Amino acid sequence: MTTLAPEAGTAAGTARPDTLPATVRPDLPAVRPLVVTGHGVVSAAGYGLAPLGDLLAGGGPGHTGPQGPDAADYPPIAVRSVPGFRLADHLGRKGTRNLDRLTGLGLVACKEALLGLADAGAAVSEEESGRTGVVMATNTGSVQSLSDLARDTLVQDAPYMVNPGRFPNTVMNCLAGQMAIRYGLRGLNATVAGGRLSGLFAFRHARIALDQGRAERLLVGGTEELSAPAAWAWHRTGALSERGAIGEGSALFMVEDAERAAARGHTPLAELLACEVGFYGAGAGRHSLASGLAACVERALVRSGVTAAHIGTVALGATHHVGLERIEERAVRAVLGAVPGAVRIADALGETYSAAGAFQVAAVLAGWRRDPAAAGTVPRVALVTSVGQDGNAGALVLRDVPRG
Amino acid sequence: MPERRPGRRVVITGLGAVSSVGIGVADFTAAIRAGASGISPIRSFDTTGFPYVRGGEVHDFEPRDILRAIRPEQWGRSGLLAAAASRLAVEDAALDPGLLSRSRAGSVMGTTSGESAVLQDLSEQWVGDGLKSIDPGLVTQLPAGRIAAAVNSELGLTGDALTIPTACSASNYALGHAFDLVRSGEADLMLAGGADAVNRLTHAGFYQLGAMAEEVPRPFDTHREGILAGEGGAALLLEPLDHALARGARIYAEVLGSWANCDAHHMVHPDSASIAQCIRDAHAAAGVTPDQIDYVCAHGTGTPTNDATEVQAVREVFGDRLPPVSSIKSMIGHTMGAASGFGAVICCKAIEEGFLPPTANVVEVDPALGPGLDPVPGTAREARVDIVQNHGFAFGGNNVITILGRVS
Repeated sequence: MTTLAPEAGTAAGTARPDTLPATVRPDLPAVRPLVVTGHGVVSAAGYGLAPLGDLLAGGGPGHTGPQGPDAADYPPIAVRSVPGFRLADHLGRKGTRNLDRLTGLGLVACKEALLGLADAGAAVSEEESGRTGVVMATNTGSVQSLSDLARDTLVQDAPYMVNPGRFPNTVMNCLAGQMAIRYGLRGLNATVAGGRLSGLFAFRHARIALDQGRAERLLVGGTEELSAPAAWAWHRTGALSERGAIGEGSALFMVEDAERAAARGHTPLAELLACEVGFYGAGAGRHSLASGLAACVERALVRSGVTAAHIGTVALGATHHVGLERIEERAVRAVLGAVPGAVRIADALGETYSAAGAFQVAAVLAGWRRDPAAAGTVPRVALVTSVGQDGNAGALVLRDVPRG
Repeated sequence: MPERRPGRRVVITGLGAVSSVGIGVADFTAAIRAGASGISPIRSFDTTGFPYVRGGEVHDFEPRDILRAIRPEQWGRSGLLAAAASRLAVEDAALDPGLLSRSRAGSVMGTTSGESAVLQDLSEQWVGDGLKSIDPGLVTQLPAGRIAAAVNSELGLTGDALTIPTACSASNYALGHAFDLVRSGEADLMLAGGADAVNRLTHAGFYQLGAMAEEVPRPFDTHREGILAGEGGAALLLEPLDHALARGARIYAEVLGSWANCDAHHMVHPDSASIAQCIRDAHAAAGVTPDQIDYVCAHGTGTPTNDATEVQAVREVFGDRLPPVSSIKSMIGHTMGAASGFGAVICCKAIEEGFLPPTANVVEVDPALGPGLDPVPGTAREARVDIVQNHGFAFGGNNVITILGRVS
């Protein structure tokens, strides 16, 4: 090898906006299907996929209004919060007193996922626990913990007087570590950050880690919490249009190789196919970001072995984002010619930022479960897209598994 | 057991360091070999009221001296450190920046505290005039994902821009993931490393945990007290062996393998059995045996607990024949998410130049750590080094080990 292949879509991105990339690298191999065998979802719709599916089908917003002790400190911004969430109600008081809301939401989603797996006869065995891990999306970790403790260094009697029991909450991998501790998951324990793309990065990272034999089963997803400081951050940046709301919650999926799952009798709920990402920031311009996202969609379709005609659902991520919303839909149209079966989670759940990719996957699965495909029919295919102001863009392909 | 996986052979051909003992890999390496100290009184925040006031700051980092594309005022300090280290790594690799940006290339950057200096500024605004007064420009600089975004933006990279915020083993995790991306063909060229900045909250937190030393870090010493918080950016350029050979690149080392596991035991207390298992699995993934390891670049924080746990884990795997085990944190402090990135950089130079990196400030090797422990006290020692083992452990129980080897 003396030359490296050019990055697909780059040249097209600068010269010919809204056109397909000239080349998709021919030797990018088709991906091995991964399967989702379990899920845990905590959202403004409630607990699990069913209420989320109902909410999305109804078209209304999830639970509105701030929660928690700083509810009165929020700016004037629409909020979709997890109603009445108290961690102790789910996990008891032992070992939960110092945990923050973000960790709590994620631990409850994790518990739901593991209980569901146990019910389905696909529990994580003791033998598997050393090769079962976590890939969690985040951006900043718990804004509440970080901002509270940073503030404490300024307002307490002495600057070092931060609560040592809460200090570990300020590392961004706190939730992933707590999940491992509480549920004995001793495999790789990753936390990934990529702005609005964080959720898709989690699925991409899980794919590569599983393909490379670094784990056998991974709990993959994203978690965000609401707080007054986070709400003010969104309000001050003006990133959302006036129809936008901010949201929170956790969506987690147990993921493993499809053949492995079949060999062990783990029932697949859906297949995860290709997840492709790219970076089109640094003054590259909006045309470039749109065609960059289009290139990611194109690559994801090719590597998934599907065509535009197969896509029946598109779960969009950038709804109500100033600028980004149009970029995302333009890119999808450039490849698919339309936005078939559009699902816009932000209307129901608000902007869930690093968890958005995971909630988009949850929305697709919830929709399919409301309307199960008959056995023997051609499996439905969905596209999940994501794009961020920082220049990150990406696409993930999901395929339904008709019940036999 | 893990096994050596098929795929492209991946080598390290460029190194970048922005550290408290030197900027650029040549100055960094010379300082480490000499056992220099990067510890000094903290300047980046007001230390009034803190009992301990020292840290490993990079006082002479001028982003404009190194960065060519991104505007420093638009990025946080951690992102600037990562981007500068990455720019230096590309220059060190003598790789055409145009070729790099046209290639399927990206970055994976580790961090503990993300854009902590930005958070510090925002918290001062909050305390000053309330949340309504926070600067939206600063808010957009806060997400941790901006660290890898800074690298991709600086170098014009269109591939993955992934930040790995897995605390103090994050650079090693980033290195392992970048290795996977290149060997599997998902990417052709990757920058891997990490960055963190000295900040008030980290300083307060480690003090409150009782894990901080007052004057200097003394890993493996009887009288070690703990860490001193440091900062910096570390970056390594990964490329396929075939490509490096074809362009006549200087090859520092091959990434032989890596492994990551989780203690699943406690957020802040390490577990020797879990670390030992991670070492065994890293050896298996790299296709090496303990007797082949010439040097262990330790996590070596200098807390009583870490060093005892780490040495015990190494003994479980190596038995009575311990390779030299040293800690460069003795010189640059605990650079958090960049720490194992700096470890990987010095491992590459150890292989290239033939030396064992030292542990500074060792007066008496702690007898409680057992017989036969050689922390290479003082200054570097000349030695042929072919295969090295780089450690990173973290809050959350995240252990990551990378194995690097000479390409013969």
